[in-house]
Amino acid sequence: MNTEQKQEKLLFAERPEWSDVDPIPQYETSTPIAPILYTPQYKDATDYFRAIVKSGERSERVLQLTEELIRLNPAHYTAWQYRYETLLALSSSLQTELELMNELAIKYLKTYQVWHHRRLLITLLRTPQPELQFIETCLRVDSKNYHTWSYRQWLLSHFVDDDDLWRGELEFIENVIGDDVRNNSAWHHRYFVVFGCGVRSGSEDRARIVRRELIFTKQNISLAPNNPSAWNYLRGILDYNRLPYSLCTRFVKPYTLPLDPNTVDIVDLENPPPSRGAELPCVYAIEFLADIHEKAGDKDNILKGVDLWKSLANEHDTIRKKYWEHRIREALQSAT
Amino acid sequence: MHAQPTLQKNLHLQFLARNMMQGFPARYLSQDASQPWLLFWALQSFSALQVGLDPDNRQRSISKIMSWQHSNGGFAGGPGQSPHLLPTYAAVCALAIVGRPGPGGGWDEVDRQKLYDFFMSLKEPDGSFRVAEHMEVDVRGIYCLLVTASLLNIMTPELVEGTATFLASCQTYEGGFSSASHPFYSIETDRVLRSPRPNLGEAHGGYTFCALASWIILQNYLNLDPGTIHPSDSSSRKTPAEEQWSNELTTERPRIDIKRLTRWLVNMQGSEIELGGFRGRTNKLVDGCYSWWCGGSFALLESLGIGGLQNLTAKDVEIDEVVDADQPPDNSGREQHEGWDDIDESLFDRKALQEYILLAGQHPAGGLRDKPPKNADLYHTLYCLSGLSAAQHHIYSSHTRKAETLAEWKDEDSPNNALQKAVFADLVSWVEEEGTSRVIGPSNSNRLNATHPLTNLTITHTEAILKYFYGQDIPPRPFIKTGASKK
Ligand SMILES: [Zn+2]
Repeated sequence: MNTEQKQEKLLFAERPEWSDVDPIPQYETSTPIAPILYTPQYKDATDYFRAIVKSGERSERVLQLTEELIRLNPAHYTAWQYRYETLLALSSSLQTELELMNELAIKYLKTYQVWHHRRLLITLLRTPQPELQFIETCLRVDSKNYHTWSYRQWLLSHFVDDDDLWRGELEFIENVIGDDVRNNSAWHHRYFVVFGCGVRSGSEDRARIVRRELIFTKQNISLAPNNPSAWNYLRGILDYNRLPYSLCTRFVKPYTLPLDPNTVDIVDLENPPPSRGAELPCVYAIEFLADIHEKAGDKDNILKGVDLWKSLANEHDTIRKKYWEHRIREALQSAT
Repeated sequence: MHAQPTLQKNLHLQFLARNMMQGFPARYLSQDASQPWLLFWALQSFSALQVGLDPDNRQRSISKIMSWQHSNGGFAGGPGQSPHLLPTYAAVCALAIVGRPGPGGGWDEVDRQKLYDFFMSLKEPDGSFRVAEHMEVDVRGIYCLLVTASLLNIMTPELVEGTATFLASCQTYEGGFSSASHPFYSIETDRVLRSPRPNLGEAHGGYTFCALASWIILQNYLNLDPGTIHPSDSSSRKTPAEEQWSNELTTERPRIDIKRLTRWLVNMQGSEIELGGFRGRTNKLVDGCYSWWCGGSFALLESLGIGGLQNLTAKDVEIDEVVDADQPPDNSGREQHEGWDDIDESLFDRKALQEYILLAGQHPAGGLRDKPPKNADLYHTLYCLSGLSAAQHHIYSSHTRKAETLAEWKDEDSPNNALQKAVFADLVSWVEEEGTSRVIGPSNSNRLNATHPLTNLTITHTEAILKYFYGQDIPPRPFIKTGASKK
C-alpha cells in the first residue's frame, strides 16, 4: 500500500494538510426530524466540503476532497458542480478527469451525475470517437440503462456533423437488436439514428430507407411476433413518413389468426410469415389490423374493426378492456 | 383465491414513523442530496394514509425545510448544498403539508423573488431548464419548476415561453415522453430549429408523467390571448427570446399526439400474469412506483378530453378526503348499490392496479416496494400509495368548478393577471364525483385520501397553499371532510 492509499483511510480531520480548514457540521436543530444516520467517514468528508464551499477555495486538494466525497455518495450533485468549476479554474487536465470517469461511470451506472459530468468534459474536449467504445462497454453491464443510451444519443446529436462518428451506427444498433430483439432501448436508438436526427448525406433516398426499415422490422416480427418494441417501431416508420398502415395489410393478417399448421416455408421479404411455433394470434397484429379498418372509415370497415377490438377486450387482451371499449366508442361516434 | 386484500395501514404508519423519528439508516446516505425528498415522501405518505403530524413535529419539519433554502433562491438537497429544481419541488410541497402563514410557519419565509430569479437563471434557449447550474436538462425539472411556480404564484409568460414547445419535442414515436430532446440551432438566426429535435432516451413512465402534467399546466399559458403577451406594438423592441417564441401561441403552437400517448400509457399496464401493475418502458418489468407515474397519468389525460364522461354528467361534487385516521368516513352503502362498470370510465384497469399494490407492493414488515422480494423504501411507499389512491378515486378537472373559480377571481393590477388567474382556476378545478370511488378490499381500512393529479398533494393541502399565495377565494366544496389531525 503506498502512502496515498493509506492516507485515504484517514479522516480529513486527521490529515495534517487539512489542518488549516475548520470543518462545518451540517446545520441541525437540537432535535432533528428524520435525520440520516451518517457514517463518521461521510460526516467528516461533508464537513470539510461545506467549509470549502464557504471559503470558495479552488485547489488540487479540492479535487481530492470532491473525488472522495463522490465515491462515498455519487449523487452529491453539489460536489460534482464544485468539482467541475474547480477543474476549469485550475485548467486541470480534462483527459485525466475523463479517465477517472471511465472508472466511476461503470461503478455508478445509475447515477445522473456521472453521465452529465462526462457530457461536460466531452463538450470541452471534443473527442467523441472513443466514447462509442466506452458506451458499448457500459451496455455490456446494463443493456437498457437509460443514462447510457441517452448519453449515446446526446453524443451523436452534439457531434451530428461528424461522419466518422456516425459511420458504424446502423451496424452497431443492428447487432444490439440482434442480441436481444426485445430491448426497447435499442429500438428507440434505431429510430433516433434513422429518423430522429434528420436526413444525413448518403440517406437522401427516403423511399429506399423506408423499404429497408420495413423489411428489417417485419423480419424481426416474424421471428418473435409478440414483441411490442418491433410493432411500435413499425408504427413509428409509417407515422414518421406519413404512410398508411394499410401498406402492411397483407403482412399483418396471418398474425391475427391462429397459427396455420400447414404453412410452408416461403421466402417473402415483403411479407415474412410467422415463424413455426409462434404464439398466435398476436395482440399487436389484431390492434394493427383494427387500426387499418378504422382508417378506411366506411361502415363496413368500422364494424370489422369493432369486431377485432371486441376480441381484444373480451379474449386476447382483457386487462385493456376499458381501452378497447373506448376505441370502439370513438370509432362508432366518428362513423355516425 | 386470496382473502380480501388488506392495506396494512398500521404497518406502513409504523414504517414511516420509524424513519421520521429514529432517522434513516446509513444506507440512505446515497439520499443525502435528496433530503427534501425523504421528508416529502414521508409527509405525503402520512397524508395519503389520512394522518397528520402533531404541532411539535410539524414545527421541527418546518425548521428542517427552511434550512434547505439557499441564500440565492431555491431549495437545496441539504443544508449548505446548491439549489436544485427537484429538491425545490419537494421542499415546497412539504411546506404545503406542514407549513402555515405567519412567523415560523415557513410560508412567509420562502423568498419568492429569489426563487423566480433562480428559475430564470436555469432557462435554456430551447425553452427547457437545467435542474441546477451546469447540470442536466430534463422534464422532471420542468415539472418541479411548474408545480412550484403554480403553488407559489410566481408564474409569468416570460418564465414559461418556449417550454411547451420543448415538452412537445420530447414525445417519442411510441407515444410516451423521453427525458429531454437535443436542440439544433440555425446558423443564420441562432434560433432553435423546430426540427430535428431528437429525443434523448426512450419513452419512460416517470418522464411521461412529468411532461404530461407540465403540458397541462402550460395550457394556461398557451390559451392566453397572444396580444397580451407580445404586444404587436412595434415601438417596443423585442428581446431575442420574445422574437424566438412570439408565434408560440398562434402559428407555431406546439402539439402533442394524445392518441399515441394514450395507446402507450395503456400498454404500460401489465397483463393478469403481471398482476396488473404498471411498467415504466416497453418490454420492462412492472414496478410499484409506476402505479403513480403511469396510473396517475390517466386523470391528466382525461383533462385533455380522453376517456371520462364526468363533465357531461356531473352532479354535486365531493372530495373524499379525511385528515384524521381515527374517524373513517361514513361509506355505508356507497359501494354496494351499483356495479363497478356502470360508473368506471377510466381507460385502465383500476381494480387490477389496486390488486398489484395490495398483493405485491406491500412489504410484510411495513412500507411499500417495487415488487417482491425487494425491500420497502420511502420513494416506493409514496408512489405505491399515490397510485393506489389514483386507482381508488376518480378525480377530474370540472368545467363547472373552473368557471365558478374564474367568476370569483378578483383582478390583480399585474401584467401577469391573466396567467395567474388561469393557473389558479385550473389547479382548483379538480373534483371527485360522488359515488365514483372504488376501493378493493375492506373499504374502510383500505381507503386512502385522494391526491391532486397535478401536485400529488391532497386537495386540501393544495388549496390551502393556493389560497394563501394568490389571496383569492376558493369556491366551497359541499362535502369535504376535515378533522383535527394528530399523530
Ligand atoms: Zn420503482
